[in-house]
Amino acid sequence: MSKNITVYTTNACAYCMMVKKYLDSKGQSYNVINLDEQPDQREKVEAISGVKSVPVTVIETENAEPSVTVGWNPNKLSAALAA
Amino acid sequence: MSDINPLVIVGAGPSALAAAVYTCREDIDTTLYEKGVIGGLAAITDQVDNYPGFAEGIEGLKLAEQLQAQAERFGAKIEFGDVQSITDAGDHKILKIDGNDVLAKVVLIATGSDYKKIGVPGEAEYFGRGVHYCATCDGPFYRDKKLVVVGGGNSAIQEALYLTRFTSHIDLLVRSTIKASEVLQHDLDKAVSDGKITVHLNTTTDEIVATDNVVNKVLATKDGEKTEIETDGVFVFVGLLPNTQFLADSKIELDEQGFIKTDGKLQTTMPGVFASGDVRSGATMQIASAVGEGATAALNIREYLEK
Ligand SMILES: Cc1cc2nc3c(=O)[nH]c(=O)nc-3n(C[C@H](O)[C@H](O)[C@H](O)COP(=O)(O)OP(=O)(O)OC[C@H]3O[C@@H](n4cnc5c(N)ncnc54)[C@H](O)[C@@H]3O)c2cc1C
Repeated sequence: MSKNITVYTTNACAYCMMVKKYLDSKGQSYNVINLDEQPDQREKVEAISGVKSVPVTVIETENAEPSVTVGWNPNKLSAALAA
Repeated sequence: MSDINPLVIVGAGPSALAAAVYTCREDIDTTLYEKGVIGGLAAITDQVDNYPGFAEGIEGLKLAEQLQAQAERFGAKIEFGDVQSITDAGDHKILKIDGNDVLAKVVLIATGSDYKKIGVPGEAEYFGRGVHYCATCDGPFYRDKKLVVVGGGNSAIQEALYLTRFTSHIDLLVRSTIKASEVLQHDLDKAVSDGKITVHLNTTTDEIVATDNVVNKVLATKDGEKTEIETDGVFVFVGLLPNTQFLADSKIELDEQGFIKTDGKLQTTMPGVFASGDVRSGATMQIASAVGEGATAALNIREYLEK
């Protein structure tokens, strides 16, 4: 099933780097929205995640609710990729 | 029965990665298990100015990437995994990692430490939604907002100074007095005279309060008097706790604060298990010393394996 993945990040965020490295290791392509470069996206990511924090990873799969992972959580990311 | 690894390192912070550079170059097959971020606390630090060899300083994340690349260049294997226990089985140790057993002849524990909580009402409730512990991750959400930073040590001052690039103003709540290096104290004095930071000494943080689920003030006690500080968020940097909870039922002895006791060879009370970096009793909590201890532990591990 094709997945559309978006990772919300900031420049100096090490946990964001871990999420990107993890997705790279799984051969997944993804869009990056860097809040330092696009501060206008802050409210959107806050509305999606409920927190003022990055990384936030949104994995959209056809005909299913998107999965939202806050922080660096490989177990949750792996389950969302497998779904 | 699974194979016995010559060396497993718990953690992949600066101390662990430095040790891996040495052990891999000695041809000791080395696997690191990391439950959080490769590079440890150094990776989440904005700028490191006191690590020797970088005259202009280096971003924490870049230093972490360099340490990782150097260890991997010599063959270190880094796996994601949360080490839950270590048991002595005589000639080898058994590590429980995410529910699976991993065997190792020698183990190096380099698990560092994690942020302490202040333990006041509102702290856990608004975690991530107004209460934060990582300035490099969450600072950009507070562009042009007011913040409270709690703490008066090196980390708190460094993080407060970093946050001034986003915020309109910071109230720094310090329980007693500032205990930071001269350089940081000087930078803080400048931020205070520029009106970016107000320092409140002898001030305890009592509660983090929200209205309609949005953090909007901190209740504090300053010089014995109750006071309220309006804010949009709170960043807490009040010290560190050693990551040794997973050793609670092991035979590895800890000091009163929970740091691992070692002998002159950095070996713990469980033979064949070594410890280095911030997690070790007596550590000086600096990247340079964590890296130095990693190298020392690696050379002692080589000696132990040759016996
Ligand atoms: C805000 C801040 C600013 C700092 N600034 C500086 C500075 O400018 N200069 C300086 O020299 N030092 C600085 N320090 C201190 C420095 O970051 C530490 O001394 C250094 O990172 C210690 O390295 P370490 O490898 O011992 O531990 P850590 O960096 O803490 O790494 C330990 C690693 O082990 C992992 N781990 C823990 N438990 C487990 C487990 N059970 N299973 C698997 N993995 C585990 C952790 O996730 C972590 O990645 C700063 C610290 C902070 C908090």
